[in-house]
Amino acid sequence: MPDPKSASTAYKPVMSRHWWLQHRYFQLYMLREATVLPLLFFIICLLYGLFSLSQGEVQWQSWLTFMATPWVVLLNLLAFSASLYHAKTFFELFPRVMPLAPAALMIVAQWLATFIVAAGLILLLGGWL
Amino acid sequence: MNKTISISRYNPEQDSQPQLQTYQVVSEHSTSVLDALLQVQQQDPSLSLRWSCRMAICGSCGVMINGIPKLGCKTFVRDYPEQLVISPLAHFAVEKDLIVDMSPFLQHLSAVKPYLINAEKSLQPHKQTPAQLAKYQQFANCINCGLCYSACPQFGLNPEFIGPAAITLAQRYNLDSRDQGKAVRMPQLNSKNGVWACTFVGFCSEVCPKKVDPAAAVNQGKVASASDFIISMFTP
Ligand code: FES
Repeated sequence: MPDPKSASTAYKPVMSRHWWLQHRYFQLYMLREATVLPLLFFIICLLYGLFSLSQGEVQWQSWLTFMATPWVVLLNLLAFSASLYHAKTFFELFPRVMPLAPAALMIVAQWLATFIVAAGLILLLGGWL
Repeated sequence: MNKTISISRYNPEQDSQPQLQTYQVVSEHSTSVLDALLQVQQQDPSLSLRWSCRMAICGSCGVMINGIPKLGCKTFVRDYPEQLVISPLAHFAVEKDLIVDMSPFLQHLSAVKPYLINAEKSLQPHKQTPAQLAKYQQFANCINCGLCYSACPQFGLNPEFIGPAAITLAQRYNLDSRDQGKAVRMPQLNSKNGVWACTFVGFCSEVCPKKVDPAAAVNQGKVASASDFIISMFTP
Protein backbone atom coordinates (compact mmCIF):
# COMPACT_ATOMS: atom_id res chain seq x y z
CA MET A 1 0.00 0.00 0.00
CA PRO A 2 1.41 3.39 -0.92
CA ASP A 3 1.87 6.04 1.69
CA PRO A 4 -1.66 7.50 2.25
CA LYS A 5 -0.25 11.03 2.65
CA SER A 6 1.13 11.01 -0.87
CA ALA A 7 -1.40 8.71 -2.51
CA SER A 8 -3.59 11.53 -3.76
CA THR A 9 -0.95 13.72 -5.39
CA ALA A 10 1.65 11.19 -6.54
CA TYR A 11 1.82 10.39 -10.24
CA LYS A 12 1.09 6.70 -10.80
CA PRO A 13 2.89 5.47 -13.91
CA VAL A 14 1.13 2.96 -16.13
CA MET A 15 3.09 0.20 -17.75
CA SER A 16 2.85 0.25 -21.51
CA ARG A 17 1.77 -2.96 -23.24
CA HIS A 18 4.94 -2.70 -25.27
CA TRP A 19 7.21 -2.72 -22.22
CA TRP A 20 9.12 -5.68 -23.59
CA LEU A 21 10.19 -3.72 -26.67
CA GLN A 22 11.91 -1.16 -24.43
CA HIS A 23 15.35 -2.70 -24.58
CA ARG A 24 17.36 -5.67 -25.72
CA TYR A 25 17.26 -7.53 -22.43
CA PHE A 26 13.47 -7.72 -22.40
CA GLN A 27 13.40 -8.61 -26.11
CA LEU A 28 15.72 -11.57 -25.47
CA TYR A 29 13.50 -12.62 -22.57
CA MET A 30 10.44 -12.57 -24.83
CA LEU A 31 12.38 -14.51 -27.45
CA ARG A 32 13.16 -17.16 -24.83
CA GLU A 33 9.48 -17.36 -23.87
CA ALA A 34 8.49 -17.55 -27.54
CA THR A 35 10.67 -20.62 -28.15
CA VAL A 36 7.69 -22.60 -26.91
CA LEU A 37 5.74 -21.87 -30.13
CA PRO A 38 7.91 -23.73 -32.69
CA LEU A 39 8.45 -26.46 -30.07
CA LEU A 40 4.69 -26.86 -29.82
CA PHE A 41 4.60 -27.37 -33.59
CA PHE A 42 7.30 -30.03 -33.33
CA ILE A 43 5.36 -31.90 -30.62
CA ILE A 44 2.20 -31.84 -32.72
CA CYS A 45 4.23 -33.30 -35.62
CA LEU A 46 5.47 -36.08 -33.33
CA LEU A 47 1.99 -36.90 -32.05
CA TYR A 48 0.67 -36.90 -35.60
CA GLY A 49 3.50 -39.32 -36.48
CA LEU A 50 2.57 -41.68 -33.65
CA PHE A 51 -1.07 -41.57 -34.71
CA SER A 52 -0.08 -42.28 -38.33
CA LEU A 53 2.01 -45.24 -37.21
CA SER A 54 -1.04 -46.76 -35.57
CA GLN A 55 -3.09 -46.26 -38.74
CA GLY A 56 -1.01 -48.48 -40.98
CA GLU A 57 1.44 -48.14 -43.84
CA VAL A 58 -0.42 -45.72 -46.13
CA GLN A 59 -0.93 -43.16 -43.39
CA TRP A 60 2.68 -43.59 -42.21
CA GLN A 61 4.00 -42.90 -45.73
CA SER A 62 1.84 -39.80 -46.01
CA TRP A 63 3.24 -38.59 -42.67
CA LEU A 64 6.79 -39.11 -44.00
CA THR A 65 5.95 -37.04 -47.09
CA PHE A 66 4.37 -34.38 -44.88
CA MET A 67 7.52 -34.21 -42.74
CA ALA A 68 9.65 -33.71 -45.87
CA THR A 69 7.62 -30.72 -47.09
CA PRO A 70 9.90 -27.66 -47.19
CA TRP A 71 7.81 -25.49 -44.84
CA VAL A 72 7.58 -28.32 -42.28
CA VAL A 73 11.34 -28.86 -42.45
CA LEU A 74 11.85 -25.13 -42.05
CA LEU A 75 9.56 -24.90 -39.02
CA ASN A 76 11.23 -27.90 -37.43
CA LEU A 77 14.68 -26.39 -38.03
CA LEU A 78 13.34 -23.31 -36.26
CA ALA A 79 12.11 -25.51 -33.41
CA PHE A 80 15.57 -27.09 -33.20
CA SER A 81 17.37 -23.76 -32.95
CA ALA A 82 14.73 -22.53 -30.48
CA SER A 83 15.36 -25.49 -28.24
CA LEU A 84 19.13 -24.89 -28.43
CA TYR A 85 18.58 -21.25 -27.43
CA HIS A 86 16.30 -22.23 -24.59
CA ALA A 87 18.82 -24.83 -23.42
CA LYS A 88 21.55 -22.16 -23.45
CA THR A 89 19.52 -19.85 -21.20
CA PHE A 90 18.60 -22.74 -18.92
CA PHE A 91 22.17 -24.04 -18.64
CA GLU A 92 23.35 -20.57 -17.69
CA LEU A 93 20.68 -20.23 -15.01
CA PHE A 94 21.17 -23.64 -13.44
CA PRO A 95 24.61 -23.06 -11.82
CA ARG A 96 23.28 -19.87 -10.22
CA VAL A 97 20.35 -21.67 -8.63
CA MET A 98 22.31 -24.81 -7.69
CA PRO A 99 25.91 -23.65 -7.22
CA LEU A 100 27.46 -27.13 -7.02
CA ALA A 101 30.65 -26.31 -8.94
CA PRO A 102 32.16 -23.29 -10.76
CA ALA A 103 29.53 -21.95 -13.18
CA ALA A 104 31.69 -22.25 -16.33
CA LEU A 105 32.41 -25.89 -15.52
CA MET A 106 28.73 -26.67 -14.95
CA ILE A 107 27.72 -25.05 -18.24
CA VAL A 108 30.25 -27.12 -20.19
CA ALA A 109 29.19 -30.27 -18.31
CA GLN A 110 25.52 -29.70 -19.16
CA TRP A 111 26.25 -29.25 -22.89
CA LEU A 112 28.46 -32.34 -22.86
CA ALA A 113 25.75 -34.37 -21.15
CA THR A 114 23.20 -33.14 -23.72
CA PHE A 115 25.38 -34.13 -26.67
CA ILE A 116 26.22 -37.53 -25.18
CA VAL A 117 22.57 -38.35 -24.47
CA ALA A 118 21.49 -37.06 -27.91
CA ALA A 119 24.23 -39.03 -29.71
CA GLY A 120 23.35 -42.13 -27.68
CA LEU A 121 19.67 -41.83 -28.63
CA ILE A 122 20.49 -41.33 -32.32
CA LEU A 123 22.77 -44.40 -32.33
CA LEU A 124 20.18 -46.46 -30.47
CA LEU A 125 17.33 -45.45 -32.78
CA GLY A 126 19.55 -45.83 -35.87
CA GLY A 127 20.43 -49.38 -34.81
CA TRP A 128 16.81 -50.18 -34.06
CA LEU A 129 15.51 -48.91 -37.38
CA MET B 1 32.96 19.79 -21.43
CA ASN B 2 29.37 20.99 -21.67
CA LYS B 3 26.72 18.34 -21.76
CA THR B 4 22.98 18.51 -22.24
CA ILE B 5 20.92 16.24 -20.00
CA SER B 6 17.18 15.70 -19.78
CA ILE B 7 15.48 15.30 -16.44
CA SER B 8 11.93 14.20 -15.78
CA ARG B 9 10.16 16.89 -13.75
CA TYR B 10 6.91 16.51 -11.90
CA ASN B 11 5.37 18.98 -9.52
CA PRO B 12 2.30 17.39 -7.91
CA GLU B 13 0.76 20.84 -7.31
CA GLN B 14 0.88 21.90 -10.96
CA ASP B 15 1.47 18.98 -13.32
CA SER B 16 -0.79 16.17 -14.34
CA GLN B 17 2.15 14.08 -15.48
CA PRO B 18 5.96 14.23 -15.57
CA GLN B 19 7.67 16.15 -18.34
CA LEU B 20 11.24 16.17 -19.61
CA GLN B 21 13.26 19.33 -19.17
CA THR B 22 16.79 19.86 -20.52
CA TYR B 23 19.71 21.38 -18.66
CA GLN B 24 23.35 22.16 -19.36
CA VAL B 25 25.98 20.73 -17.06
CA VAL B 26 29.77 20.73 -17.02
CA SER B 27 30.99 17.16 -17.28
CA GLU B 28 34.51 16.02 -16.54
CA HIS B 29 35.95 12.54 -16.64
CA SER B 30 34.86 11.81 -13.07
CA THR B 31 31.43 13.47 -13.14
CA SER B 32 28.78 11.05 -11.95
CA VAL B 33 25.12 11.35 -12.89
CA LEU B 34 24.47 12.34 -9.27
CA ASP B 35 27.09 15.12 -9.58
CA ALA B 36 25.33 16.32 -12.72
CA LEU B 37 21.97 16.32 -10.93
CA LEU B 38 23.44 18.32 -8.05
CA GLN B 39 24.82 20.84 -10.57
CA VAL B 40 21.33 21.21 -11.97
CA GLN B 41 20.00 21.69 -8.46
CA GLN B 42 22.40 24.64 -8.08
CA GLN B 43 20.82 26.21 -11.19
CA ASP B 44 17.29 25.27 -10.25
CA PRO B 45 16.79 24.60 -6.52
CA SER B 46 13.28 23.28 -7.13
CA LEU B 47 14.71 19.99 -8.45
CA SER B 48 14.03 17.23 -5.92
CA LEU B 49 16.11 14.09 -5.64
CA ARG B 50 17.33 11.64 -3.04
CA TRP B 51 20.94 10.89 -2.27
CA SER B 52 23.26 10.57 0.70
CA CYS B 53 26.51 8.62 0.62
CA ARG B 54 27.77 9.28 -2.95
CA MET B 55 29.54 5.92 -2.79
CA ALA B 56 26.98 3.26 -3.71
CA ILE B 57 26.30 2.15 -0.18
CA CYS B 58 23.19 3.95 1.09
CA GLY B 59 21.04 2.94 -1.86
CA SER B 60 19.07 6.18 -2.03
CA CYS B 61 20.09 7.67 -5.39
CA GLY B 62 18.42 5.15 -7.71
CA VAL B 63 17.02 6.61 -10.95
CA MET B 64 16.29 5.45 -14.47
CA ILE B 65 19.13 6.43 -16.79
CA ASN B 66 18.04 6.09 -20.42
CA GLY B 67 15.37 3.70 -19.20
CA ILE B 68 17.68 1.44 -17.16
CA PRO B 69 17.61 1.51 -13.34
CA LYS B 70 20.96 2.67 -11.97
CA LEU B 71 22.55 4.36 -8.97
CA GLY B 72 23.25 7.97 -9.93
CA CYS B 73 26.45 8.03 -7.89
CA LYS B 74 27.83 4.87 -9.51
CA THR B 75 27.14 5.93 -13.11
CA PHE B 76 29.38 8.28 -15.08
CA VAL B 77 28.14 10.95 -17.45
CA ARG B 78 31.10 10.13 -19.74
CA ASP B 79 29.51 6.75 -20.51
CA TYR B 80 26.62 8.52 -22.23
CA PRO B 81 28.16 10.43 -25.12
CA GLU B 82 24.81 10.56 -26.90
CA GLN B 83 21.69 11.38 -24.94
CA LEU B 84 21.28 11.18 -21.18
CA VAL B 85 17.73 11.04 -19.87
CA ILE B 86 17.15 10.77 -16.14
CA SER B 87 13.75 9.80 -14.79
CA PRO B 88 12.39 8.45 -11.51
CA LEU B 89 12.57 4.72 -10.71
CA ALA B 90 10.00 2.80 -12.74
CA HIS B 91 6.97 1.01 -11.25
CA PHE B 92 6.74 3.36 -8.25
CA ALA B 93 4.42 6.33 -7.75
CA VAL B 94 6.25 9.61 -8.35
CA GLU B 95 6.05 12.06 -5.45
CA LYS B 96 8.02 14.85 -7.08
CA ASP B 97 10.65 14.98 -9.85
CA LEU B 98 13.01 12.06 -9.14
CA ILE B 99 11.50 11.09 -5.81
CA VAL B 100 9.30 8.02 -5.71
CA ASP B 101 7.18 6.51 -2.97
CA MET B 102 9.20 3.48 -1.85
CA SER B 103 6.70 2.32 0.76
CA PRO B 104 5.35 -0.67 -1.24
CA PHE B 105 8.94 -1.89 -1.50
CA LEU B 106 9.60 -1.39 2.22
CA GLN B 107 6.39 -3.22 3.12
CA HIS B 108 7.41 -6.20 1.02
CA LEU B 109 10.80 -6.20 2.71
CA SER B 110 9.35 -6.26 6.21
CA ALA B 111 6.74 -8.89 5.23
CA VAL B 112 9.43 -11.59 4.98
CA LYS B 113 10.64 -10.95 8.56
CA PRO B 114 14.19 -10.03 7.58
CA TYR B 115 15.93 -10.64 10.88
CA LEU B 116 17.34 -13.58 12.81
CA ILE B 117 14.57 -15.61 14.40
CA ASN B 118 15.95 -17.87 17.06
CA ALA B 119 14.13 -19.17 20.13
CA GLU B 120 17.32 -20.06 21.98
CA LYS B 121 17.80 -17.73 24.90
CA SER B 122 21.46 -18.57 25.51
CA LEU B 123 23.84 -15.68 26.01
CA GLN B 124 26.59 -17.49 24.15
CA PRO B 125 27.49 -16.07 20.74
CA HIS B 126 26.20 -18.10 17.81
CA LYS B 127 29.24 -19.49 16.12
CA GLN B 128 29.36 -19.76 12.37
CA THR B 129 31.97 -21.41 10.16
CA PRO B 130 33.25 -19.68 6.98
CA ALA B 131 31.43 -22.33 4.96
CA GLN B 132 28.13 -21.52 6.71
CA LEU B 133 28.73 -17.81 6.12
CA ALA B 134 29.47 -18.39 2.43
CA LYS B 135 25.98 -19.89 1.95
CA TYR B 136 24.21 -16.55 2.34
CA GLN B 137 26.93 -13.89 2.24
CA GLN B 138 26.28 -12.76 -1.32
CA PHE B 139 22.58 -12.20 -0.53
CA ALA B 140 23.52 -10.15 2.54
CA ASN B 141 25.12 -7.45 0.35
CA CYS B 142 21.78 -5.88 -0.63
CA ILE B 143 21.62 -2.13 0.01
CA ASN B 144 17.83 -1.83 -0.47
CA CYS B 145 18.14 0.57 -3.38
CA GLY B 146 15.08 -0.87 -5.12
CA LEU B 147 16.67 -0.96 -8.59
CA CYS B 148 15.61 -4.60 -8.97
CA TYR B 149 11.95 -3.64 -8.48
CA SER B 150 12.22 -1.08 -11.26
CA ALA B 151 13.83 -3.73 -13.45
CA CYS B 152 11.10 -6.28 -12.76
CA PRO B 153 8.16 -6.29 -15.19
CA GLN B 154 6.28 -8.70 -12.93
CA PHE B 155 6.39 -6.15 -10.10
CA GLY B 156 5.33 -3.47 -12.58
CA LEU B 157 2.32 -5.56 -13.60
CA ASN B 158 1.48 -6.74 -10.08
CA PRO B 159 2.65 -4.47 -7.23
CA GLU B 160 1.59 -7.17 -4.75
CA PHE B 161 4.47 -9.37 -5.94
CA ILE B 162 6.85 -9.28 -2.98
CA GLY B 163 9.67 -8.92 -5.47
CA PRO B 164 13.37 -9.66 -5.92
CA ALA B 165 14.95 -7.92 -2.91
CA ALA B 166 12.39 -9.20 -0.38
CA ILE B 167 12.71 -12.78 -1.60
CA THR B 168 16.51 -12.45 -1.59
CA LEU B 169 16.40 -11.20 1.98
CA ALA B 170 14.13 -14.09 3.00
CA GLN B 171 16.59 -16.46 1.37
CA ARG B 172 19.48 -14.71 3.10
CA TYR B 173 17.98 -15.50 6.53
CA ASN B 174 16.65 -18.94 5.57
CA LEU B 175 20.20 -19.96 4.61
CA ASP B 176 21.73 -18.57 7.82
CA SER B 177 22.78 -21.36 10.18
CA ARG B 178 21.85 -19.19 13.21
CA ASP B 179 18.28 -18.71 12.02
CA GLN B 180 15.22 -20.84 12.80
CA GLY B 181 12.60 -18.69 11.11
CA LYS B 182 12.25 -20.51 7.80
CA ALA B 183 8.85 -21.97 8.75
CA VAL B 184 7.37 -18.52 9.35
CA ARG B 185 8.83 -17.09 6.11
CA MET B 186 7.81 -19.89 3.77
CA PRO B 187 4.06 -19.03 3.64
CA GLN B 188 5.01 -15.63 2.12
CA LEU B 189 7.33 -17.24 -0.43
CA ASN B 190 4.82 -19.99 -1.27
CA SER B 191 1.93 -17.57 -1.82
CA LYS B 192 0.79 -16.48 -5.27
CA ASN B 193 2.63 -13.20 -4.82
CA GLY B 194 5.76 -15.02 -3.68
CA VAL B 195 8.45 -16.83 -5.66
CA TRP B 196 6.04 -18.29 -8.22
CA ALA B 197 5.11 -14.85 -9.54
CA CYS B 198 8.64 -14.65 -10.97
CA THR B 199 9.07 -15.74 -14.59
CA PHE B 200 12.84 -15.37 -14.51
CA VAL B 201 13.20 -12.33 -16.68
CA GLY B 202 16.53 -11.97 -14.86
CA PHE B 203 16.93 -8.24 -15.41
CA CYS B 204 16.98 -7.68 -11.62
CA SER B 205 20.38 -9.37 -11.44
CA GLU B 206 21.67 -7.34 -14.39
CA VAL B 207 20.91 -4.01 -12.74
CA CYS B 208 21.90 -4.92 -9.16
CA PRO B 209 24.75 -2.55 -8.24
CA LYS B 210 26.04 -4.98 -5.61
CA LYS B 211 26.05 -8.18 -7.70
CA VAL B 212 23.65 -9.79 -5.24
CA ASP B 213 22.00 -11.84 -8.03
CA PRO B 214 18.42 -11.64 -6.77
CA ALA B 215 17.21 -13.79 -9.69
CA ALA B 216 19.31 -16.67 -8.35
CA ALA B 217 17.87 -16.14 -4.87
CA VAL B 218 14.30 -16.11 -6.20
CA ASN B 219 14.86 -19.31 -8.15
CA GLN B 220 16.51 -20.94 -5.14
CA GLY B 221 13.36 -19.86 -3.35
CA LYS B 222 11.33 -21.80 -5.93
CA VAL B 223 13.33 -24.93 -5.16
CA ALA B 224 12.81 -24.33 -1.42
CA SER B 225 9.09 -23.69 -1.96
CA ALA B 226 8.66 -26.85 -4.04
CA SER B 227 10.44 -29.03 -1.48
CA ASP B 228 8.45 -27.35 1.29
CA PHE B 229 5.28 -28.39 -0.57
CA ILE B 230 6.44 -31.98 -1.11
CA ILE B 231 7.46 -32.34 2.54
CA SER B 232 4.08 -30.97 3.65
CA MET B 233 2.33 -33.66 1.56
CA PHE B 234 4.01 -36.39 3.60
CA THR B 235 3.69 -34.85 7.04
CA PRO B 236 0.34 -34.86 8.81
S1 FES C 1 24.15 8.29 -2.91
FE1 FES C 1 24.21 6.51 -1.67
S2 FES C 1 24.02 4.95 -3.15
FE2 FES C 1 24.20 6.70 -4.38
